Amino acid sequence: MRKRVLSSPWLRLAPALLVIGILFGTSIVYGAGQSLGVMAAIGQQEASLDAYRNVLTGSGPAGREFWPSLGFSLWISGASTLLSALGALPVALWLNGRRGQSQQKETLALNWNLAFPHLVWAVALLLFLSQSGMLARLAAFFGWVQTPADFPVLVRDRLGFGIILSYVTKEIPFLALIVLAVLRSQPENYAVVAENLGANRWQRLRYITLPQVLPALTAGSLLVFAYVFSAYEVPAVLGVRYPRALPVLALDFFTNPDLSSRAEGMAISFLIAIIVILLAVISIRQNKSIGET
Amino acid sequence: MSQRLSTYTLQLLLYGVLATPLVLFAVYAFSERWFFPALVPQEWTASPFARLLSDRRTLQGLGESLSIAAAASLLSLAISFPAARTLGLRAFRGRQAAWLAFFVPTVVPPLAIGMGLNIFFLQIGLAGSMLGVTLAHLVPTLPYTIFTLSSVFARYDENYEHQALALGANPVQIFFRITLRLVFPGLVVAGLFAFLISWSQYLLTLLIGGGRVLTLPMLLFSSVSGGNPASIAALSLLFVTPPVLVIAATARYLGQHGAAVQEQY
Amino acid sequence: MTDVSILDLRKTYPGQAQPVLDHFSLSVHAGELVALLGPSGSGKSTILKLITGIETPDSGDIQFNRKTILNTPPNQRGAVFMFQKAYLFPFLSIAENIGFGLKMQNASKATIQAAVKRMLDLIGLPGIEKRKPAHLSGGEQQRVALARALVTQPRLLLLDEPLSSLDTAVRANLQEAIRRIQRELGITTILVTHDLSEAMSMSDRMALLLDGQVAAFDQPMRLFQHPPSEQAARFVGINTFLRGEVSDGCLRTDLGTLEVCPNRSKPGPGVFAIRPEHIRIESNQRPNALPGIIKDCTYHGEYVEYQVEIPEMSVRARVPMPTEMVPHGAPVHVIFPQEHLFQIKNA
Repeated sequence: MRKRVLSSPWLRLAPALLVIGILFGTSIVYGAGQSLGVMAAIGQQEASLDAYRNVLTGSGPAGREFWPSLGFSLWISGASTLLSALGALPVALWLNGRRGQSQQKETLALNWNLAFPHLVWAVALLLFLSQSGMLARLAAFFGWVQTPADFPVLVRDRLGFGIILSYVTKEIPFLALIVLAVLRSQPENYAVVAENLGANRWQRLRYITLPQVLPALTAGSLLVFAYVFSAYEVPAVLGVRYPRALPVLALDFFTNPDLSSRAEGMAISFLIAIIVILLAVISIRQNKSIGET
Repeated sequence: MSQRLSTYTLQLLLYGVLATPLVLFAVYAFSERWFFPALVPQEWTASPFARLLSDRRTLQGLGESLSIAAAASLLSLAISFPAARTLGLRAFRGRQAAWLAFFVPTVVPPLAIGMGLNIFFLQIGLAGSMLGVTLAHLVPTLPYTIFTLSSVFARYDENYEHQALALGANPVQIFFRITLRLVFPGLVVAGLFAFLISWSQYLLTLLIGGGRVLTLPMLLFSSVSGGNPASIAALSLLFVTPPVLVIAATARYLGQHGAAVQEQY
Repeated sequence: MTDVSILDLRKTYPGQAQPVLDHFSLSVHAGELVALLGPSGSGKSTILKLITGIETPDSGDIQFNRKTILNTPPNQRGAVFMFQKAYLFPFLSIAENIGFGLKMQNASKATIQAAVKRMLDLIGLPGIEKRKPAHLSGGEQQRVALARALVTQPRLLLLDEPLSSLDTAVRANLQEAIRRIQRELGITTILVTHDLSEAMSMSDRMALLLDGQVAAFDQPMRLFQHPPSEQAARFVGINTFLRGEVSDGCLRTDLGTLEVCPNRSKPGPGVFAIRPEHIRIESNQRPNALPGIIKDCTYHGEYVEYQVEIPEMSVRARVPMPTEMVPHGAPVHVIFPQEHLFQIKNA
């Protein structure tokens, strides 16, 4: 009997569950408490939805900026995701068509991407695309611009092009690897069968390859969307003062010395988390349906 | 013909996109007084680097980044090892629930986790300490090591251990001589993931460290708002060098040992 | 030399209602090779796991030389095994693999080296000490696994389908090698297999496992020719059963009367069986025969297999090396030679 207790799976899971439970669990509880205005610091014990009300409808600074920020965040996340997915598809198809050594090399190249944190990637883009950056210098070299001011604003721009470009170039390799994994795990080369049955290149792409990779690509894209939507670093480096991405807004309010701002910042970050978790749930569903087919 | 051309274009684009940052950083980091519209720096110099490395804060940042990332990844590996083995090898009631418990922290944004932990750690006195930051980093690293290792254990064959047991090895000998050797490549990959996640973490460090724990991302962030391209580039180069080295070493290791390891499966 | 007694063993896997083994008993003499033969799921491998200590039984006892081993830690039982896969440690050389057990006993380098060399000679693969397992063929890997298992002079060798992933030629070769080495070292061995011919060619005695119990336990020849029950008979390839009333050396069936050996038959209602190889087919009327019609015939080289329809019954007969084949649909007489009909337990 003693032996059975010792070999229980839960005993072996306990350290990991405990660490995650304490760190993650308390962070959620404390965060939720904070966003509901329950704070030991100012002695307030009663929960209230004031912070959420201020953020969603209020006329205070948080309320004024929340909706434009939400729109901006949705725009950069949506555009980044769509463009990454569209870009990842040809890259993956191309890699899948290559064989042997060169294929290995290029898959490794995609993984290379891992070495560059988003922050560094954004910094690189800043140096490359700013009005006195490398691209502007090239333009000047060819005589297209005379002064930095002639060069278009590509980073730290109001439409978030810099942010989107940063994410797209970073996420294309990520999604390409996902699609590639699906393509390589196909037990039979259905494309060859389809070709034998008379399908041309486009028909094979449309009727064989796309249906194979679409579920995984969709699931991966949802994860990309969720990530972009909740990430702080890139919009902080490549964004402008207004409109700000939601996470930037949330952190700004949270680090504000005014305690009610803190609650509002926390409330915004919880709203972000809720949206992201919803997307993750949809993504898992999608993945499950891949498993079933 | 057009297919060859598009292949070359894609290849060029892929390598271009991947190589550009490094080249860019290198050029900027060794430049001085590089005014618009000059295409190459008027002067090549190592002085941004010299400035960077002579700054006490740089060395502190490098040291703290390395120690936190190393500690967080080793701790993650140690804690996830028994859990991953169980998840990978055993079927038991509640397995799905355990899986979910590890999955949820990966989708909740670090922003929300950091804000909550900030308050908790302030209360228990861990805020502003290296230990606090390391523990906070476990929230994103632990699930990754668990998932990576459990997929390793899902392909693991316990009969190797049974064989050693029947040949007279005791549990300790089995662990060090057989189990560890068999899953070592998986441990390396999982450790690499954890290291990279911790290494590039900015928000959690900011929110828990409260400015008192200084890692390279913190320095990079403040230098980006300061705005000297040469020092930004030099710092970026310093920041990506360890991950690049670690990934290269791992790829090399797996290239040498991966084949032998795959044969057992 | 170790003899093994398994007494009234019962084992239920967690989460399963039915035990895999129930009231399982078996005794193996010292130095003997016993084959456990049974379909998959019959609990064969479980017995080996219980003997090595990887699993623990619900109840019952396992004894080596009449002393229980259930309280001995698995790594001190001296029961080694060999699986279908060699499970050579991929990161160790051949010499290190073979020497593993001795190293665990803290044997000296010189001892290990000498023992490894001796074992490699024994398995007929001298000089491969420095190679890695991945560079050996499947058959060679199994030989090394055998050497590794035997190097510590264990009390008991357990073989769990050790040859079923090898192709026929390698397999026959290795069967012979295992048998030779086992006899040479005189090590008590239990072989688990689902392959009848492997069990028969390798074992001194074989036990037929059906539904977690021993359905028959005897020398291969006796079990093959005179299985005790219909279940056992079906397992060794018999599917002709004649039911009727036995009296005065005669079996009276609905189809006709057949003569049987009086000294091997009990009067009253009874079932008789006969091996397909013993049934003969003739076109003319003979004694001890029943009329039938050829439904199917298949040429197998060494023999022709006929499927003959006797009213309400299909009989399979194997005729060795015929000069000509009886065509499909031909009326024939199926002969059941008296000396080959044997009585089995009533179902």
